[in-house]
Amino acid sequence: MSQTNKAVSPRRIALAAVAAFLTALLLFVTAVVPAEYGIDPLGTGQLLGLLALAQVPAITTESSEYRLDAAELELAPSEWVEYTYRLEQGGSMLYSWQATGPLRYNFHSAPDGAPPGYAESFDAKESDHAHGSYMAPFIGVHGWYWENHSTDYVTITLSTAGFYSDAHEARDRVDGFHRLTDLRGNKIDHVR
Amino acid sequence: MSLKHRFVLAVAITLVLSVPVGAHPMEGQNAAFVQGVDGPAPGPFMYLGAKHMVTGYDHLLFLVGVIFFLYRLKDVVLYVSLFTLGHSITLLAGVLGGFQVNAYMIDAIIGLSVVYKAFENIGGFEHLLKVRPNTKIAVLVFGLFHGLGLATKLQEFTVTRNGLVANILSFNAGVEIGQILALTVVLIAFVYWRTHRSFLEHAFVTNTALMIGGFLLTAHQIYGYVIYS
Repeated sequence: MSQTNKAVSPRRIALAAVAAFLTALLLFVTAVVPAEYGIDPLGTGQLLGLLALAQVPAITTESSEYRLDAAELELAPSEWVEYTYRLEQGGSMLYSWQATGPLRYNFHSAPDGAPPGYAESFDAKESDHAHGSYMAPFIGVHGWYWENHSTDYVTITLSTAGFYSDAHEARDRVDGFHRLTDLRGNKIDHVR
Repeated sequence: MSLKHRFVLAVAITLVLSVPVGAHPMEGQNAAFVQGVDGPAPGPFMYLGAKHMVTGYDHLLFLVGVIFFLYRLKDVVLYVSLFTLGHSITLLAGVLGGFQVNAYMIDAIIGLSVVYKAFENIGGFEHLLKVRPNTKIAVLVFGLFHGLGLATKLQEFTVTRNGLVANILSFNAGVEIGQILALTVVLIAFVYWRTHRSFLEHAFVTNTALMIGGFLLTAHQIYGYVIYS
């Protein structure tokens, strides 16, 4: 393989290697560490405005009202239930549910204006519990479908908190709205 | 342009190439997709492989170092094939055999591979250390490390056994496609640059800048290793 100029002296090569190492070290300490980790040992991050790059937005503020919901749903063998909330785009909620037995479930969302039966699925498994947080990628109805494949009755205890309006329950034959509670625990009628 | 100005320019270019030093971005939506996959999905995995190569500046910097003094297409094909052979072996073996290494350490070694090649390009081994390591073997060995990095990244996400082989093969095929795309751009630039006298004049400075990039990548990964591992 060809090399650069044969006239390059070993001294110059050594100098270049050391200079490269020191330059990298300097750039690392003055630019990369402040920008990537938010640590500013020499104050250069502040000076160059690089510290702002390391800040992760920890808070998303919401304009809609904060609501709480708790629901207990009983499923007979081979029965299913669908429980959904209305969320705006970017609306978030925390959820936790626990069942007395394993269920097949599917967390899905149907955007407003989508053809009937269309939904995007985000989490589908067989389990007796799930906890997490959800941020709606679009406006529409968002929630769970649970199916009891066992031969026993199973009770699901669901609790959520977030920025939804409306909770809706649908079963094989029955269909209805749940009353949500506000921040103070007062029942509020479903809002459209 | 004075030598000093050229040097500043070369450093600036290297910096732009290497500053967002996450090196292997497989985050957010892509990661969520890989985690959710169950069964063969050749299209998406091929895309991810190609994206990984095109946006993975550590791989790109290494390739720039490798083809810097390769004037004949035959040599380019030979060296790139050795590199490809290396990373294909460890990618397949790593994911199938389930062996994982610390991602930060692997990425630090990949950063050092850039330093190694650039140091060789400025004649460091020949004129300073008075040794002549076999370039072909070095490229093959660094290919093995690059593949191990790919394998570790893929396994950080729970890839299901279902359709695994098809998905790794697709990922690897995507890596080759990405490599060809990236190489085409780099080669065109080199062919153009070589028609100018400035190529040989700036070769030394450019490779020194390449070393800076390699050292930066290495420093960042070692720092990440100390903090997160």
